[in-house]
Amino acid sequence: MIISVASGKGGTGKTTVAVALAKSLNYCQFMDFDVDAPNASLFLKPDIKHVKKVTMKQPYFLTGTGKSFKACADFCHYNAVAYIGEDVVFFSELCHGCGGCILVGPEGAVREKDVEIGEISKGFCSPGINFAMGNLKPGGTRTTAIQNELEKNIEYDNHVIIDCPPGTSCSMVMAVKNSDFCILVTEPTPFGLNDLMISVEVLKDLKIPFGVIVNRFGIGNDEVLDYCKNNNIKILAKIPNDLNIAKYYSKGLTLIDFDPTWKDKFADIISEIEKEVLKK
Amino acid sequence: MKQITVISGKGGTGKTTLASSFIRLAKEQVAVDCDVDAANLYILLDPYKKVTEKFIGSSKAEVIGNCINCGKCEELCRFDAISDSLTDIKIDKLKCESCGVCEYICPTEAIKLKPEEQGEFYISETAMGPFVHARLNPGAENSGLLVTKIRNIAEDIAYRDNKNLIIIDGAPGIGCAVIASLNGVDYAIIVTEPTLSGISDFKKIFEVTKFFNTKSFVCINKFDINLNNTEELEKFCSENNVEVIGKIPYDEKVPENLSNKKIIVDDMSSEAGKEIKRIWGKLEGYLLT
Repeated sequence: MIISVASGKGGTGKTTVAVALAKSLNYCQFMDFDVDAPNASLFLKPDIKHVKKVTMKQPYFLTGTGKSFKACADFCHYNAVAYIGEDVVFFSELCHGCGGCILVGPEGAVREKDVEIGEISKGFCSPGINFAMGNLKPGGTRTTAIQNELEKNIEYDNHVIIDCPPGTSCSMVMAVKNSDFCILVTEPTPFGLNDLMISVEVLKDLKIPFGVIVNRFGIGNDEVLDYCKNNNIKILAKIPNDLNIAKYYSKGLTLIDFDPTWKDKFADIISEIEKEVLKK
Repeated sequence: MKQITVISGKGGTGKTTLASSFIRLAKEQVAVDCDVDAANLYILLDPYKKVTEKFIGSSKAEVIGNCINCGKCEELCRFDAISDSLTDIKIDKLKCESCGVCEYICPTEAIKLKPEEQGEFYISETAMGPFVHARLNPGAENSGLLVTKIRNIAEDIAYRDNKNLIIIDGAPGIGCAVIASLNGVDYAIIVTEPTLSGISDFKKIFEVTKFFNTKSFVCINKFDINLNNTEELEKFCSENNVEVIGKIPYDEKVPENLSNKKIIVDDMSSEAGKEIKRIWGKLEGYLLT
């Protein structure tokens, strides 16, 4: 069973919830799909055993051969190749590595090299959590390419917890699309509500069942609760607003370190989810 | 004309709280919300929409007929977006990156790239001046393209109306939308918090600003929840010659005002609001030079 933990708004507590789920399972796979800003390793402290570089192909142009690369510039849908005067100019951050310029360019004059765009790290945390994360290199834009590579490591027979990136765009969809159930973490503020509603739309489109965890419960107002009630969305838990939880978090300590009774509460949430998934 | 972007790496550190305050405090400016897939700034600015336009992003490959199942497109697609079925091919729209290689190579012209509507953008008016914002369709890509689009519109408005400042609320992360919101701006304000996650994400986004040669300032939000980590952040900043422009205290008045859709600097009793005013004072000094 794959459970993903997502939120429209950032900083609502995705990693806090995902880590608590993994710790209450003891035996599972944990995947950090927030490859722009992966943080789960700071809490799970895995012993990293393998690091694999993720590369993409990028072209380089053999200039000075008298050949024209105009066709490459005309073809490139990302405007990564420009033709200025008689010179070809390449903007590497716009390139997706599709290989189109090689197909259309003068034969043999467009070559490719591997460029590092990030890495996948795999390791283990006691007692039985297999850990994997992706990490996009700063300056790169190929978030979903790293996620694609990370996805190949999902252990479909295991319990899998996926920590997702914030937002509701393609990188969030990439992270949730394989899951049997998604937990949306939100906070009871107008920002939290607004972004929750967009996330709900995405999950409905993808036909992934979901429930909500309200974090920092006590701040703000009742609009999130009312919205969930009116739309028959199940609230799985409310985590109270407590400065001490924030202080624990700041040091890399988990919700279960703060209050061990959360371990059983999250175990209950998982069995509840499991029942619902099996029903379908 | 000057442009500043508020970014953070980690989400939820206070980008919109800061950006909305700057917009309130600045005299003449155009505001832009570049967090196009979880846009929140409009909630605080209370705009009325003057113009709504559709955003046509990139085109997705589509099978339009007479596929002879030769497999050439599948072989050349670098994004694993094309798979074989018995009679023709299937295209996974989520994986398609609109490169056009399949359309080019198809011997029977069975594949066509079709433009897709991927969201909307709005040119609005607020009590604090013009505001350009957008909404990316749920699950859509090309947030970078949409960010560039709304920034261009904001620049046009600024020239037209003689505004000398554009204030941009950025997206979390370090990917395409963030890079598009940093491109060519004068200053990046990086908002972080003294947590291990905050520090880790700060270091990544700081690398990005260095990569693109963007002058940046750092603002440590909720600095008092972990003074050791705040010290570590300050040490890192001084070693890397980047100024910590302010340290905002933890203040329950922030979510309280947010819940009433009020901008924090309008609450005279808020300590966080007072510090943000000081930060803006310093920033204004830099913007004048």
